Amino acid sequence: MLESVSQTLVFGILVGALYGLVALGLSLVFGVTKFLNVAHGELLMFGGYASFWAVSLLGLDPFLTIPTTILALLAVGVILYKLLFARMVKLPEETKIKNTLLVGFGLSVILQNLALRFWTADDRGITAAYSSQALTILGVRFPLVRLISLGTALVFLLALHLFLRKTYTGKAIRATVQDWEAATLMGIDIHKVYLLAFALGAALAGVAGTLVAVNYSIEPSMGLNWTLKALIVMVMGGLGSITGTLVGGLALGLTESATSLLLSNNYREVVGLVLFLLILVFRPQGLFGAKEN
Amino acid sequence: MKRRRMLSLALLALAAIVLGCAPLVITKDSSISLLILVLLYVTMASSWNVLGGYTGQSNLGHAAFFGIGSLVTRLLWIGGWPFAAALAAGGCAAIVLAALIGIPAFKLRGVYFAIGTLALAQILNVTVGNLLPEMSYNPAIAGYELLPRYYLFLALALVTVGAAHFLVNSRFGLGMKAVREQEDAAESLGVSGLKHKLLALLVSALFAGLAGGAFAYYHVSYYLNMTFSPLWTFDPMMMAYVGGAGTIVGPIVGSVFFVVVKELLVLNVGEYHLMIFGTLFILTVLFLPGGLVEAWQRLRRLSLRVLASRKTDPLPQGGS
Amino acid sequence: MLSLESIDVFYDDLQALWGVSLQVEEGELVALVGPNGAGKTTVLRAISGLLAPAGGRITFGGLDLARVAAHKIVDQGISQVPESGRIFAGMTVLENLELGAFSAEARKSKDRSLEWVFEIFPRMQERMSQRAGTLSGGERQMLAIGRALMSKPKLLMLDEPSFGLAPILVAHTFEMVKKINQEGVSILLVEQNVRAALELADRAYLLENGRIVGQGAGDDLLNYESVRSAYLA
Repeated sequence: MLESVSQTLVFGILVGALYGLVALGLSLVFGVTKFLNVAHGELLMFGGYASFWAVSLLGLDPFLTIPTTILALLAVGVILYKLLFARMVKLPEETKIKNTLLVGFGLSVILQNLALRFWTADDRGITAAYSSQALTILGVRFPLVRLISLGTALVFLLALHLFLRKTYTGKAIRATVQDWEAATLMGIDIHKVYLLAFALGAALAGVAGTLVAVNYSIEPSMGLNWTLKALIVMVMGGLGSITGTLVGGLALGLTESATSLLLSNNYREVVGLVLFLLILVFRPQGLFGAKEN
Repeated sequence: MKRRRMLSLALLALAAIVLGCAPLVITKDSSISLLILVLLYVTMASSWNVLGGYTGQSNLGHAAFFGIGSLVTRLLWIGGWPFAAALAAGGCAAIVLAALIGIPAFKLRGVYFAIGTLALAQILNVTVGNLLPEMSYNPAIAGYELLPRYYLFLALALVTVGAAHFLVNSRFGLGMKAVREQEDAAESLGVSGLKHKLLALLVSALFAGLAGGAFAYYHVSYYLNMTFSPLWTFDPMMMAYVGGAGTIVGPIVGSVFFVVVKELLVLNVGEYHLMIFGTLFILTVLFLPGGLVEAWQRLRRLSLRVLASRKTDPLPQGGS
Repeated sequence: MLSLESIDVFYDDLQALWGVSLQVEEGELVALVGPNGAGKTTVLRAISGLLAPAGGRITFGGLDLARVAAHKIVDQGISQVPESGRIFAGMTVLENLELGAFSAEARKSKDRSLEWVFEIFPRMQERMSQRAGTLSGGERQMLAIGRALMSKPKLLMLDEPSFGLAPILVAHTFEMVKKINQEGVSILLVEQNVRAALELADRAYLLENGRIVGQGAGDDLLNYESVRSAYLA
């Protein structure tokens, strides 16, 4: 009994860190630009495919395909932003929010079907040479792939944190989030900030996609579920901090694991969504109202 | 106003007659099925449009009502109920669901309402898939006739469009549009945002639920959670927008356009129609928010202006 | 140096400024005074590029600012301390100051600028690592001014720096402004505190309902009849 509880705990944490990374890109974009990019899951999916093909064609270890995936998704992010989202920046608040939602949604349809066209509806997964190996400590299994994924997720969380804290550009981003007019007065080009945030968000989604491809599988219609996961994490962890995103991810991971243990595996998905709805409806200051203002 | 209403009723009656007589001319089953698809989409797009286009609330969970209507109808009908009763029950189920979630849902504004309804529909999707994973077979397959199904969908589409038209042109409809434009301003004038949104939601849900029931009647066998798929929200939504959200004709135009494009492309190269429609959708949101209806109106005004300038005598003109 | 030539500014369809003209010469301390809602902030926003004038011209050192994007105005040498400072509350004092020197040019001399600002506002050096949101009102104002100085501006514009401050801090603030001017920075001071502003300034403009209704040397305006009755009674 104790073993299965510990195993559940461990799985929850391992998955939770991945969830944190999944949400990180969306959280960054929403925090900076106030766009809720509902095509986030599709960007994640493309990242997964980018890694899949890098592994298939170049024979690399899956985790080593992360740099190429990052480059690919940075490019995609820049193109999408310039093509679609840049023109909506100047719109009045309510129209902007509604239109970016709709455009993001249309984008998700296009990306899904592009993927369907290119790569068919078959499930793909990446297997590493060590995919079936695991460390066993005190009777608890730590699958190797999950451990490395945990490490990768933490690395990127830390990297973003340092970027925002220590670099001039990172500080400019934080300043833009707090007061974009004051930031403009300082000489910060907020259009560049938005572009950067969006591109980074896409790149982070891509990395998360790689991890998903290695730990689970990918197929063209997976986007929506992962976008929802990212939203759940954002709601659970509160917007505005990277720590919050990690905490939210862990919270979701552990909740799902516990549900698996106590109820059944089938309801993992649903629990997160139900919690999401409850928090949405009952948190008085609304979803992302908290931090700055 | 009265003349317009007479005109619209006349058009509706005309459509009813033309489409009602269509099976006399069209005999191929596959063509009838295509018409059914169009009518189903018209119903779904028009019902979505009541809340989404006219009241301005982006409901991303429309599939939940379609799903629950189809689920209840199917289970009851296969369980022995007469179909009419099962269909009515399906519609009621949709209304009940809408009533349950309406008040908490509308606490959420804008984006949060959208993702909240999306989450809700997914919850139902997954749960139904878990609880009832088997395929549902229609035991009465021997006596299956296509035409009754056709007329059911036709009737449903006509009633939905008619109801939407009636609602939108009433005083209530004025309130709905006020809520869409500037909810806070409307509230200060005494227009209850919540009441209008709730009624729009109930109407929207009812017709989606009935459409689901008709779907259950039409399809011989399918997976029960299929009608909860987000596609049943997204496709109608795109059709409504591309056709012209916030108009009565828009969803109709959009639905027809969608099916036409799909058929044309399937003949040639496969599943491109969603990609194209998605692109059209984005273009509509970015550049032509009124959709094809607006494009048509602009074209008309432009051609009228061209015609008018030709008819005037050659005296110097002032401004436009 | 700075010249506004008959500018008109609209907020959507609402006109806020009618044919406003004013000049600030090098080394001057010019005040722009007027009642609440006169449009003084609008003037500053137009100069800083946050609003585009519908008519007229704004030039700085001969360059037409209409060609300059809002975030490049700082590079031209114009820096603004906006109304209520608008410091970045979630960041430290030091980070706020560093952001003041964001543009590439200013970044090169960041350390020297920092020294200079700490000289004028020693309190900021003490509170260097503190989160800006935890500062008192007066300290925030100091930080806002210090931040604006980090770009070594030729022209510093201040939007009601005394607003909401205790009287003793108000006097202190104006002292600081005078000191900064004496160090060679031209100043455009927008103020509701008419008396203090007019005593401080070399020249002043009076803005009412979006129009310039009076101008002259600070002392002259102090004696100007309508100013006395309207603002100093």
